[in-house]
This record gives sequence, C-alpha cells and structure tokens, in this order.
Amino acid sequence: MSVQARTWRASGRVAVLALAVLIAGAVSLSLGASGLGPGDLWRAVTGAADPATETILLRLRLPRAVLAALVGGALGLSGCTFQALLRNPLAEPYVLGVSGGAAVGAVCVFVTGLAVALPWTLSLGAFLGAVGAMALVLAIARRASRGGMDTRVLILSGVIAGAFFNAIILLLLSLADLQSFRSAIFWMMGNLSGADWGSARLAVFLVPASVVVLSLARAFNVLSRGEEVAYYLGASVQRVKLTAYLAASLMVAASVAAVGVIGFVGLIVPHAVRLAWGNDHRLLLPASFLAGSAFLLLADTVARVVVAPAELPTGVVTAVAGVPFFVVLLMRGGRR
Amino acid sequence: MLVGRDLTFTHPRAEEAAVREVSLSVAPGSLLAVVGPNGAGKTTLLRLLSGSLAPQEGEVLLDDRLLGDLGDRERARAVAVVPQSESSPFPVTVREMVGMGRYAHLGPWESVGTRDRDVVDEALERCAVAALAHRQVGELSGGERQRARIARALAQEAPVLLLDEPTAGLDLHYRMELFHLLQELRADGLALLAVTHDLNLAARFADRLLLLDGGRERAGGDPHDVLSREILEGVYEWPLRLVPHPGPGSDAGAPQTVPLRRDDA
Repeated sequence: MSVQARTWRASGRVAVLALAVLIAGAVSLSLGASGLGPGDLWRAVTGAADPATETILLRLRLPRAVLAALVGGALGLSGCTFQALLRNPLAEPYVLGVSGGAAVGAVCVFVTGLAVALPWTLSLGAFLGAVGAMALVLAIARRASRGGMDTRVLILSGVIAGAFFNAIILLLLSLADLQSFRSAIFWMMGNLSGADWGSARLAVFLVPASVVVLSLARAFNVLSRGEEVAYYLGASVQRVKLTAYLAASLMVAASVAAVGVIGFVGLIVPHAVRLAWGNDHRLLLPASFLAGSAFLLLADTVARVVVAPAELPTGVVTAVAGVPFFVVLLMRGGRR
Repeated sequence: MLVGRDLTFTHPRAEEAAVREVSLSVAPGSLLAVVGPNGAGKTTLLRLLSGSLAPQEGEVLLDDRLLGDLGDRERARAVAVVPQSESSPFPVTVREMVGMGRYAHLGPWESVGTRDRDVVDEALERCAVAALAHRQVGELSGGERQRARIARALAQEAPVLLLDEPTAGLDLHYRMELFHLLQELRADGLALLAVTHDLNLAARFADRLLLLDGGRERAGGDPHDVLSREILEGVYEWPLRLVPHPGPGSDAGAPQTVPLRRDDA
C-alpha cells in the first residue's frame, strides 16, 4: 500500500471515530430522566423548543456531554501516553499516583467541611493534590535515578506514592463524619453529575497538553523499541519522557479534579485501538482520544438512565461495560 | 569518517575502566571488526562511538566535528547503530519498524513523503526483507529480524553504521548472509564497524581488526597480524591453532582460529 493510501486510511479511521463521538453526543443529549427525546433535541437545535426543554438540554445535558467527551478523551490519550512512556501495556492514567494525590486533596476538602461551605474548593483541592503528587513522584524518580528519569524508577515511585496516598485517605476517612465519608467515597468512584459550563475550563489544560502529546507520536513509536534504540534513531529521549510525563499528568490532574476517579477508560480504550489498528502512535493517540470520548459519553448516558431518576457512579459503568467488551476483543486475537 | 581518540570510560561505581585509551578510525568503504573476550569493553566502545556514552577522556570526531556537539537528530543522520538486542511490548510490522529509521529526517508534524517511502523501500530491498514488510517483527526468525533492524539503520541514510554482535544467535546460513550484506554495504561506501565474537568471519570479511582485552587495545590492523597464536592464546586464555582458510575463492589463506581441547595443547 502506498504512503498516500495509508495516510488516507488513517485519516478515515480518525474521521469515523469523530463521527462516533458526535453520534454518542447526540445519544447522550437525547436520553435522560426527564423523558426528552431526539425530537426535543432537534427542536432545541432549531430554536423551536419550549424554555424548560432548552434549559434541560443546554444547561444540564450539553455541558455534561461536553465534560464527558473531554474527560474521556483525556483519559484515553493520557493512558496511551503512559503506556508509551513506561513501555508497559498495563500502564493507565492513575498508575503514577496522580489520582491518589487528587483524592487526598478532595478528601481533605470533604473532611474539613469546605466542600459544603464552598463547593468550588473541591475541584481546586483535587487539582492541587494531583499536581503535588505529580511533582513529588517526579522529584523522587529524578533523585533516585541520579538526574535522568529511569522509567522503572518512575513507576516504582508512582506506585509507592499511590500506596502512601491511599493510607492518608483511609486515615482521613476514619476521622470523618458519616456525611463527608459518603460524599468522599462517591467522589472517588467518579461521576459527572456536577457538570456545568464552568467545568469546561478543563479544556484550558487539556487542549495544550493534548497538542503537546500528539506532537510526540513519532517519538513514542521509536521509544517503543527501547530507549537505547530511540536514542540511536535520533530521539531526545530524556526530553521526550519528561514532556510526556508532565503533559499526560496534567491532563489526568485536570480530569480527576473535574469528575473524580473514573477507572478503566484509560486502560481499555488504548488497548482496544491497539488491537484493532496496531501500534502506530500517529493513529493511536488521536484515535484513543476520540474513542475515549465516545466511550465515556455512552457510559455516562447509561449511568444517568438505567436507574433514573437516581444515578449510578459513571466509574462503575465504565468498568462493568468496559471489561467484558475488552475481553471479547482480546479473545478475538486482535490484529493479524 | 568516524574517529575515536584516546577514549577512556569508567562506568559509575566501577573500579576499573571499561575502555582505556583506545583510538580507532572507521573510514568510508571499510569494515572494522572489534573483537575480544566477554567483558573486554567492546559494547562500551561502541556506545562511546555512538554518543550514547560520553568518554571521560578522549574525544569522538565525526568528520572533524565533535560528536557530542551534534543534536540528537543530526547525530542520527550521521551515525546509525544496530544494538545487540531490543524488545517491544507493542508489536509492529517490519515496514513500520524500518520506517522508524526516518525519525531523524522528519519533524513532529511532518508527514511521510515520497522520498521517505523510496528510502524505506530501498532499505527493505537491500536487506532482502521487502517480502516480509507486512509481517510482525516478533514473528520473524532471528536472521530475518536482524536484517530488518539493519534495514532500519540504512533508512537513516547515515554514512557510518555501527553494529553490536550482528551475528549473535544466528545459524551458519544467516551468519554468512549477514557478512555478505556488510560486504555489499562497504562496497556502497559506508563506514562500517562491527563488534563480533566470530573471529573466523571477521578474518575473512573485515579490512582491519581491533582486538580488545581488559578495555585496552591488545592488537590492531590487518587480520593476518592481529590473529596470531601468541596473541589470541594470551587474550582468550585457551590453547588454539591458526590454519589458513582452504579456499576456494578470495578467502583462501585467511587465518582461521581453531580452539584445541584443554588437554591436547
């Protein structure tokens, strides 16, 4: 196959996924507890809907769909990035302790009662915790690998820091009152019910970080053959690793701050794309973002709809729906 | 032309230097074979010459420029390396892997062009892996995989090619095929350096040998001068004899090393 044909095929696949995101978005907007359907969506788009319908769609469902698409994409892309950086197929967005740091920050906000008094402090606390964890893990890893950034040391530092954060969380929860305890646990399961247009500020971090990560696609390809090989092929290995770590961690920090810890998206989505279309990061990275968006849009719709008017935590749905899907992919043997 | 001058390198926390005051040059259209026992410093020397390690003393020059002064991409366009082994958690096809050789020629947002494709095609042909282009690298035999890795190095279009034990683990057929390939690349004008344990093939295919022992140059130059019983028995601490290659062909007379049984010496 010629280079042009290959480029067209990759572009086609990205376009298909982009379409899938739009369809998943439309599905998400059309379904919900209030019984509004696709017809109402169409009327709202054309301006023919009544104000109540418009409010539900534009103030509740649309910002939530945008948030789901952004977070799903960030988790898919950052999961793929951590797999490339650590050269480990088991890596996922939370492997290096960023989510643990975020959870410590969030639980502090719950336990001190700030979450009730000043709700906006919750995402701030989570974000600061996540960024603190990111800096701490990097500092430990750099110190331990004497200036460079040995990814084996990095993964150890991340896992150890994560374990430490878990202990802190348990300590804080054991001291918490029942209401804070319940809120904190629910937050840690991850859910998008707090979405409003303010949560879209997430994009301030996600867009630049995503662009940076996408620019590293070719570097990730050579890095997959090992750091020594990547160096011989002309990659600035240390710079690529540091950039990838910072950009992906920032994406995770912003996502967790917005919606809590939603699991499995960042592990399953990149692998599903790998199994279907191979390991060329030039396609894999954008495809992981888009597939993550579509997946979380659908999972969140399910979370809103199945036990309406109550809601399931979105993170539970992603795990329950994602794991069987992944097992099927795995058993089909993937790409031949 | 790649030149190493008085290279000395001690690994962190090691007591002895791995490479000590070694000088060499790899000229276009020639093959230098670096030989020596395990732990003699061969791979460290190759890493010094490739820039992945910086010598504590001495310097590596590429056409009179310090190798360390080149940027990563510029260096990779000048010196290609086939390291001893590599592995990947994520499978790729042969074509994808050989295409990675174009990394240093492409910007982060630049798409692969006709010229890149032609270079990759030519490298695949040159190393006789074009028919395997769509196979997964992990499914290849050892000899095929080694040829694919050399093809990737050729796709870098670097005038200098360094190989670390390219024939390790290969059978007779693939070993001969590989040295024939090196011979062709030398004829193309590449400056080649191969670290190898195969003294007999080195004696036949290399223009010059560099025999390392304990990080130092023990002997260097024409294979007939380096491969003597006295030198080799001292370096390898094993009784051996040297016999001339029986021919036919241009290899006739090349010194071939035959190790003896311990008791027969």
